[in-house]
Amino acid sequence: MQDPLHSAAVYQSLLTKRYLTSKIMPLLAASAVMLCTAMVLIVWSVMGGFLNKLLDSGRTMVGDVFIEWPSSGFAYYDELITDLEKDPQVAAATPMIETFGVVSLSDDRVEGVTIRAIDPKSFSRVVDYPSMLWWKPIETPLPKDKLSEDPRLDAKRKQLMADVYNDGLKLAEVPGKDMPEVQAAVIGIEMSGFSKRQDGGFYEPRALVRPRADGQKEVVSRWMPNSQITIRVLPLDRGGRDIQLASASVPVANEFRTGIYENDRRSMFVPLALGQRLLKMDAAQATAPGFNPYDFQGDAGKPGLSTPVVTGEDPARVTTVLIKAKEGTTADQLRVVADAVYEKFAARHPGKVPSIMSMRESDLIKTWEMRQATFIGAVKKETSLVLLILCFISLTASFLILAIFWAMISEKTKDIGILRSLGASRAGIAWIWLRYGIAIGVAGSISGFGLAYLIVTNINSIHEWMGTALGLYIWDPRVYYFTEIPSRVETSKAVVVLTGGVLFSLFGALIPAIRAASLDPVRALRFE
Amino acid sequence: MSNAEQPILMARGIYKTYRLGKVSVPVLRGVDVTVPEASFLAILGASGSGKSTLMHLFGGLDRPDRGVPGAAGDAAKTGQVLFRGTDIATFSAAQADTYRRQSVGFVFQFYHLLPELTVVENVIIAAMIRHGRFGYPAADVDKRARELLTTFGLGHRLGHKPAELSGGERQRVAIARALINEPPVLLADEPTGNLDRVTGGQILDQLEEYRRAKRLTLVMVTHDQEIAARADAVIRLVDGKVVGQMPAAALAGG
Repeated sequence: MQDPLHSAAVYQSLLTKRYLTSKIMPLLAASAVMLCTAMVLIVWSVMGGFLNKLLDSGRTMVGDVFIEWPSSGFAYYDELITDLEKDPQVAAATPMIETFGVVSLSDDRVEGVTIRAIDPKSFSRVVDYPSMLWWKPIETPLPKDKLSEDPRLDAKRKQLMADVYNDGLKLAEVPGKDMPEVQAAVIGIEMSGFSKRQDGGFYEPRALVRPRADGQKEVVSRWMPNSQITIRVLPLDRGGRDIQLASASVPVANEFRTGIYENDRRSMFVPLALGQRLLKMDAAQATAPGFNPYDFQGDAGKPGLSTPVVTGEDPARVTTVLIKAKEGTTADQLRVVADAVYEKFAARHPGKVPSIMSMRESDLIKTWEMRQATFIGAVKKETSLVLLILCFISLTASFLILAIFWAMISEKTKDIGILRSLGASRAGIAWIWLRYGIAIGVAGSISGFGLAYLIVTNINSIHEWMGTALGLYIWDPRVYYFTEIPSRVETSKAVVVLTGGVLFSLFGALIPAIRAASLDPVRALRFE
Repeated sequence: MSNAEQPILMARGIYKTYRLGKVSVPVLRGVDVTVPEASFLAILGASGSGKSTLMHLFGGLDRPDRGVPGAAGDAAKTGQVLFRGTDIATFSAAQADTYRRQSVGFVFQFYHLLPELTVVENVIIAAMIRHGRFGYPAADVDKRARELLTTFGLGHRLGHKPAELSGGERQRVAIARALINEPPVLLADEPTGNLDRVTGGQILDQLEEYRRAKRLTLVMVTHDQEIAARADAVIRLVDGKVVGQMPAAALAGG
């Protein structure tokens, strides 16, 4: 039977195939290409995935655009929200107070946190708040939860989970039968450390075994939605002066997870009304110093200050208004809209709200990207730098191929002379080696892609294993911002790396191919 | 001039000098040779006499020296290597490649087979080079390669690698490779120089038989007078010069 290679009628393909399969050197060259391709693709996927996650998550907490006046906040926000929502490019807007505080947990630990006071209903229209809530009934396990061990899957806890989920949505809970609903907090799931993240990607509440007075031991659940926490904040008045420390004890309604470690570790949600009350940002009577005709001070004989008199109402304030863009509107376009709406709003309340000039000077109408620009920029630069370094490393694979091909051509000098005597052209000879380089590049790159795909898609399991078996934890969520390593290989990146692998191999083969083509046939035939 | 009258190969005033570092080594010094169509010419000479160089020039693998400007006599002229009246020394690289693909076949003393290829692949590769990607008559070439190899007694060795063959078998494969494209000229450089006398004799018998049947022109380099005696004509090269051209019968006669 005829070999299909013969019918292909290209002697280069016949020789490439025979050279590839009969030598150890091409295998070494292909392995070098494979390792370099895999290395670049793994690093790019993880770093790029990290960057993408960062970009995606930027919107998780703040929507597309936000208007803020930190600490003291601004009034008439309902009016601003109504104005914003009238614009066709605005999908929704919601008020928020963002402040720092400390929280005392059930084990008397005190943690510094970012407290976000929100109106859960309107907040849910701007960001995907319901999906952030962790404790809720679920039907299907997470992809990594092979054994379906997630407590949320437990049919017996279904009602409990549903109740806790609803409490989270309302930021309120009913503490007992026939008792009135009370305001509650939703805290980041990494904050307490009482729910431990498992390899399957779910959280398992810890239980504490402690001795009782009667000598027995009891198991106490540390599940946060069962517990009470105390929040302490420092309120500021409209002029930014501190008033006095305020505190409130609230139950935990639920926990949330955004996947961004910093958020999940050090932030919490409370109802807007609670935040306003604690921070003295709720509506109040506006007062002015009073006058007492019987109270004289000093030699001047002027009347002194006395009981303040009510002069009107000091409206409620928030520090931030979050805005979500309609489909098709970019964050930058929305920022222009927000700026214009605020300008008109500020013009209606001169002296009562920060002026548009102040907002613009301090750059306080921002897109989510602007908010994290420094961090995103740093990660982008870091990714580019790492890729550049890796490309230089990959260049060594090119030189490895060059060295291997150079050696092979020296070994095959006589073959080149034979082929020239049979009428093979110089270009034809060069093409043998270029084909060879491409074949090695293709084989190496494809296997490199396979290796990278296997590693990247299982990177979290591999990392867990390295931690358990070798005590080597490379990805520390406290350093890297996310609780899990990004584990997706993007097609576009794979295509670029695969093409790069082939081109680098071709480059490595180019100089030896030119050398082969330029060999004098008579000298080649006499070569020993 | 008709083909019958015109020699198929002709060398006129050929000079060839190789440079070894700073030393110039003259190999051919004004060689004139005529090879009639369908004849067998033996080139006899000692090692280093320039006979292989002459073969390479006939095969378009090398070019004669250009004439030396200002030199006296023949050294001032550029020599000519004529194939059917056309000077192959003036060919471009592409024309020289085509000439080697279509008009000549080479057989070397040390066989020069490609070790990674099988017997049949070693023969077929010459046809692949000749025909290129398009218009390659795969079935015809395959059939012809098998027939040629069978003619030279290698029908049972088609799938073997050169390393698995004896010297005589390897040279038969090399001859089949040289003949696969049916060139009008076969250039053989000591084809039996590496073989024992019996095997060499058998190969020469087969080659002679094929040559007569196909009217092939054979130019063979040898230093063996007995082999040269088989030829139609013999030239003797000494120190790069033809010192005698005679009918082989004269050589046989002593």
